[in-house]
Order: sequence, then structure tokens, then C-alpha cells
Amino acid sequence: MSAHKTRYAGVTLQVTGPRASLNRISAVMGNTLREAGRTRLFYGVLGVAVLLLLGSVVLSDLALVDQQARLVQDFGLFTIPLITVLTGVILGVALLQKEIEKKTLYAILPKPVRRSEFLLGKYFGLCTLLLLEMAALSLCWFAVLTLRGGAVTGPILSALLLSYVEVMLVTAIATFFSALSSPMLSGLLTLGMFAIGRIAYVVIDLMSATKGVFAEVPAMRALGRVIVAVVPDLSAFNVSDELLLGWDVPPEYVLQAMGYGLSYAAIFLVLGLLVFERRDLT
Amino acid sequence: MTEPRAGGATPSSDEILRVDHLSKTFRTGLLGRRVEAVRDVSFTMRQGQVLGYLGPNGSGKTTSIKCLLGLIQPSAGDISLFGLPSRDPMARARIGYMPEHPYFYDYLKPTEVLDYVGQLFGLDADTRKRRIPMLLERLGLGHAMDRTLRGFSKGMLQRVGIAQSLLNDPDLLIFDEPMSGLDPVGRKELRDLMVELRDEGRSLFLTSHILSDVESVCDSVVILNQGVAIAEGPLDSLLRRDKLFSAATLKVPDEAAISALQQLLSAWPEAGVDQVTEGVMTLRLPSGAVPQLSARAAEVGATLVELHPVRDTLEELFMRKAVTGATAGAEGSDAPDGGGAR
Repeated sequence: MSAHKTRYAGVTLQVTGPRASLNRISAVMGNTLREAGRTRLFYGVLGVAVLLLLGSVVLSDLALVDQQARLVQDFGLFTIPLITVLTGVILGVALLQKEIEKKTLYAILPKPVRRSEFLLGKYFGLCTLLLLEMAALSLCWFAVLTLRGGAVTGPILSALLLSYVEVMLVTAIATFFSALSSPMLSGLLTLGMFAIGRIAYVVIDLMSATKGVFAEVPAMRALGRVIVAVVPDLSAFNVSDELLLGWDVPPEYVLQAMGYGLSYAAIFLVLGLLVFERRDLT
Repeated sequence: MTEPRAGGATPSSDEILRVDHLSKTFRTGLLGRRVEAVRDVSFTMRQGQVLGYLGPNGSGKTTSIKCLLGLIQPSAGDISLFGLPSRDPMARARIGYMPEHPYFYDYLKPTEVLDYVGQLFGLDADTRKRRIPMLLERLGLGHAMDRTLRGFSKGMLQRVGIAQSLLNDPDLLIFDEPMSGLDPVGRKELRDLMVELRDEGRSLFLTSHILSDVESVCDSVVILNQGVAIAEGPLDSLLRRDKLFSAATLKVPDEAAISALQQLLSAWPEAGVDQVTEGVMTLRLPSGAVPQLSARAAEVGATLVELHPVRDTLEELFMRKAVTGATAGAEGSDAPDGGGAR
């Protein structure tokens, strides 16, 4: 690692090498975490989620006694990933635009920071915040679940882990669109991808059928192929059916799904970097 | 001093900035109308130099700076900083930049802003801990270290902007419109600071549309108008400080006296009549020609009523060059005239 030494006050700047690069990513990450953690929106969403989870206690009173824990479990498995993904989308689509609109980017990028380092720092900062959010919600959920006679099992933890991978993937999609367009459009496109991704398995099923619109109309078949190729199948991260049926979630499946999700996230991040690298910051 | 660009020449060891044929064209509107923000601008800067990059609003100063700092891609031309391409982030390690509007994260305290910037520069924790309070004290922000920027005035934000630009102990400081929005006291303090920084041996690249603000600090200038460099070179040479001029006011009895004096002035290209009204003539001429003017005035019956030395200002230089540039443009030439340095 080389360092540039200046003449005046013996200041040593470490600007080259992987360690210096990681330090810069970590600095941007820390600032993003601090910034996002101060938004009212974040605490608003967190508050609503906690209320919903606590509300599931009241809701579970309406269920049969032996189904109370299951209701809390299903409610948590539905609410926690959804709320965390929505937080990721809302904060992610404004990740770069906010810096451009507030002109804070113009004071940061003239420093020896690569745009890729800046974008990765922003992304990982947001992912860290979402991890904290998910952890806080999960703790709240575990408390409610235990109160209703349920238990925190291995499959539940696997389900949460996969949900977090989904959150990372959707946040990467939001980051990609954030480098490309306005927050409003980015939000619509990301939510569109999220919705299609959640039902991608339906498209895959329809494509393999011998009858139906996807099988018979060439244009729809082509559209189906594009959807399958471009949109990640987010159902891969949803193991609520397995939990409902009391099945185990094999570690091999968890690893495979994690690999799938993180690879897709990496692709969207690289695309985002390519766009951001070439963008004129006027 | 600014140097005339020599295409393909090897940069000399103390050359810190080289801009070669920089052009930037934007496309605006639905039809993608072309707007040429900067056109074929070239200049160099040496270590220790204070360069004023001047011009009216919309002349292309900020666009040039954004190209220089890698925020936007030039449409044509090359920029190198310390011998490295301007888009290389490592070239920026030796630069301190203060944007025109120093917007920082308003939820942070000045110490936190500087700490963040210090981390981006790769300064270790001990150095940050030592330099940050020192710089904030130097810029008169010692009393506001623990307040968030949200409550800071424009002048205080400007100081934070300067403090963060000095954190890496830069060789080259780039200040975009540093005087903008400051009160007279703030302007004076900033001017003094820039002189101090210059005396420390740092190079300064200043932009301003208020030419008089930087006249006292710069040793050379590049003047832009409508994206074109209309003048470039050492300030002394451009402002003809090596030559003394005088302004004279005379009472003239008749048209014949006016013609005689005009004929006398035609001997010096820089001389000229400013105004003739109701028998009073004001003119400008090299100070060395005053005895001849005095003698000729006596011959034609004119009376010299006032005589004082005059100096060119940047405003006058700009107006002169802008008019020349406009004429040249009308004749189909957009090339800078090169100023006194060429």
C-alpha cells in the first residue's frame, strides 16, 4: 500500500490499496446508517410494524386455542419481511437522488472516493439498517410467539435468514433504479419487480403448461421468457408453506437460495455501478 | 503564471493542472437541444500559483470545475491533475475542494463532517483527532463544534467548507465562488485566509463572477465568456501594470482644438478620448505622454484642469475582452485571444 505524504504538517493519506478502499466504503456506510437511522419515516414504519405484531396477540384470541401460536407465527412471517422490504424500497430508491438533490454528493465525490465505493457504502449502510430493523422486529415477534406458547425453531430462523436475503436483493434492485431515474419512478419499478418476483413461480408454471395464454400466444410466451430471465424468483425466499406444514428447511436449500439471491443482488449492484459511473452529476 | 498550452508536450515537474481543449456540451429539453457550456478551453497551472477562473454567471466556470473533479465527463479534451487523469480518484487526494454552495449533512456537527471527510481521505484516527479541532479553531468555529449544521449561517457553512477542504493538507485548493453570499467582513476574512494559504505555498484555483473579489489574491487569470476563454495570462501583464496610464480633463475652446488633441493621441495605440461634452474633454493616455499633451494643449488654447493616474481593473479588462470576443465571434472565430501570456 502506498501513501501520499504532504509537505506541510506531516499528514499521511492512505488512499490506495484494498484496505483504504474498504475504509472508504465503511465510512460511507457509517454515514448512511446514521442518516437513514435519523429519518422519521424509518421509525414510523418500525412503530407500525411493532403495533401490528402486538396486534397479532389480540388477533390470536380469535383463533382456536391450539392455533394461536401458529397464527402469530404466520402473521410474523408475513409482516416482518414485507415491512422490511418496503423500508428498503422507500429508503433505497432515494439513496442517490437525495444526495444529488441536497448537493451533498458534490462535496463527497471530489474526495479520493470511487463512485463504486460510494454506491457500495450507501447500499451496505442501508442493508445494515434493515438488518437492525429486522432484528428488532424479530425480537418483538419472538416475545409474542413465546407468549402464545410457540417456540423459536430452526426453520423459523432459516425463514428469517432467507427473508433478509430477499430484502438485500430488493434493496439492490432499488439501488439500481436509484442510479437510473427519479425516486418516484424507481419506487414504481422496484415495487413492480418485487410484485412480479413474488409471483414469478406462477409464470414459470404457466410457461410449462400445454394450454393457456402463455402457451398459445407467442407474444405472451416471449414476455414470460423475459420475466423469467430478468426478474428474480422471490418465492425462493418464502418458506412459510414448509413452516405451516411443519416441514424442515434443509440447510442445502437455504445455502442454494442465499447463493441465488446474493448473485442476483450482485448483478443489480454491478448494473447500478455501471450506470452511476457514467452519469453526469450536473 | 498560466502557460500557453503546448499539445503533446511533456508536463513539467511543477505543473499541477493541465486542461487541454476542454469542451462540454449538454443536451437539454425533449428535442435534445445542444448547449455548449464550455468550448475548447486550455490552460495550465503551476505549483504555488493562484489562478482566478473568472467570468459572468453561466460562462462555464462551474461546468469546468465539475469536469476537473470528475463529476461530469468532458465532451472533448483532456484534464490532468498532478500528472494523473482527472477521473482518477487518487489525483483528488492532493486537492481540497469547496463547492459554491457548501451543502453538508445538516444533521452532523462540524467535527462529524470533518471526521467523515477525514476517513474518505484515509487519515488515521489520531491525525483526525488532532487536525479537526485545530482547523475549526483556525476558521473561527471553535465555539460551534458541538452544534449541528442545521442552525449554521451561510458564513459558518462556508467556513466548514473551507475547513473540510484543508483537512488533507492539500497542494491545490479549488474554491468555487468562495465569496458568494458572504457579508463584507466575511469577504475580507476569506480574502485574508486565501492570502495566508497562498503564502503557505499552496496553489489556489478560484472562480468568481465578482472580479474585484479575487483581483487582490490572484497572480494570473483565465476569463471565460459564454464558455470561451477570452483572456488568459499573468494578471500584471493582462492589466498592463507595467505601463502607467493617466486620465486627463481639459477645457477646449473649439472643434479645432479637439481635432488637434485627437490627432496627438493617435500616436499611442492605448490612448483615446473618453468623452467630449460642452467644451470639456476627458481622455486617457500613457503617463509618459503627459508632457506632450500639456505642450500641445497650450498651443491650441486648451487648459488642463485635472490629471490623475489610472489603473486597469479586471472589470475593465473583462469588458474590453468581452467586446473583442463578441466581435471576433461575429466574424466567425471563437478562439481565445490568448491574453498577455501567449
